[in-house]
Amino acid sequence: MATDFYQVLGVARNATTEEIQQAYRRLARRYHPDVNHDPGAEDRFKEVSEAYQVLSDPAGRQRYDRFGENFRQVREDYDERAAAGAGGRRGRGGPGGRGRYQDYVGGLDSDLFEDMFGGFFGARGAAGPIPGADQEAELELSVDEAYRGGRRRITLTGDQSRTYNVTVPPGVVDGQRIRLASQGGRGRGDAPAGDLYLVVRIASHPRYRLSGRDIHVDLPVTPWEAALGATVPVTTPGGEIKVKVPKGSSSGRQLRVAGEGMPSRRGKPGDLYAQVMVQVPGRLSKRERELFEELATVSTFDPRSGS
Amino acid sequence: MTAASRFPLVAPERLGLDAVAARSGLHPELIRRFVALSLLDAYRDTEGRLWFRPDAPVRIARIQRLRAGLSLNYSAMGLVLDLLDRITTLELALRTRRDAPWT
Repeated sequence: MATDFYQVLGVARNATTEEIQQAYRRLARRYHPDVNHDPGAEDRFKEVSEAYQVLSDPAGRQRYDRFGENFRQVREDYDERAAAGAGGRRGRGGPGGRGRYQDYVGGLDSDLFEDMFGGFFGARGAAGPIPGADQEAELELSVDEAYRGGRRRITLTGDQSRTYNVTVPPGVVDGQRIRLASQGGRGRGDAPAGDLYLVVRIASHPRYRLSGRDIHVDLPVTPWEAALGATVPVTTPGGEIKVKVPKGSSSGRQLRVAGEGMPSRRGKPGDLYAQVMVQVPGRLSKRERELFEELATVSTFDPRSGS
Repeated sequence: MTAASRFPLVAPERLGLDAVAARSGLHPELIRRFVALSLLDAYRDTEGRLWFRPDAPVRIARIQRLRAGLSLNYSAMGLVLDLLDRITTLELALRTRRDAPWT
């Protein structure tokens, strides 16, 4: 592995054993596959465990400091053999075979896997297959993509980047999960892998605001449309629809159009809520001004009379 | 006596290892081990001395309660402390969100 063990643990090269242990404990907790569902977390967890396994063992650390990432190719008894000129002694076990601290560093066996999945939670005795953990990744969709659904290609970056072609059902809502069976964390032994869940995040949209399957949208209308009533076009993710503005609609009035929200595979689709917003022209023509002035003198309407 | 010679006492912003040990009634070596297990945040100065936030004794009390009440070992303790912190943060966020408008 090309990554630097000290960097992996985020400690200085002259860090004390305690500092190394402290960093490992913190990172192992952060990246444990049951705590962190990010697809990259499991690889990170393995890196952290491997780095700790080497650096927590004084002999292993010394060899790593001297030989860098090639330290595994160097025999453990390199110095003794060099001093003796040659020799028939064989290195023990493998790298990191030592370094068993009683009590709190449980399960620092040379079997890295055991250390990760067994040792961390003290389940050293639990041999046999253990199913892999589920993972979660975010899938950001625009409102229109979520409305229509369809095929989508997503790539998860990590040590090995993975690409999936996912069929998004029409009408997914924020927070909904799409399950990719057996694409999560690897299982131990013959045990099955976990699942990968793609959690849908709907990107914010300049016009549409989503609340579950309901779509809220502003509906700008002219003062006369608001006063007299009108049928006005509204663009929705599903296309343009006509909304009837009842006469006497002031700003803020919600017009519900049943069934024009996000579609649903089972059950009812959401509704569209158009909120009336009365707009006035920024600049009036001569004629418009005359008419408004006439209205002002004729009308007895006072919206502030109630207050 | 001049007025300038009177100053109020201010609680120190950081605690040393011995102060934390004395307040929590534990041996300094055990506190040091808590730090190594990353159960307790501490800052190491250039001489390797440990310095703690003023709320360290509160956290130590929680560690002792969890150990005594639920027989948690120190290895599992770190995860439990992390999760409790995370729950607190999420609950706070949820409460703030409930009060705010939905947009």
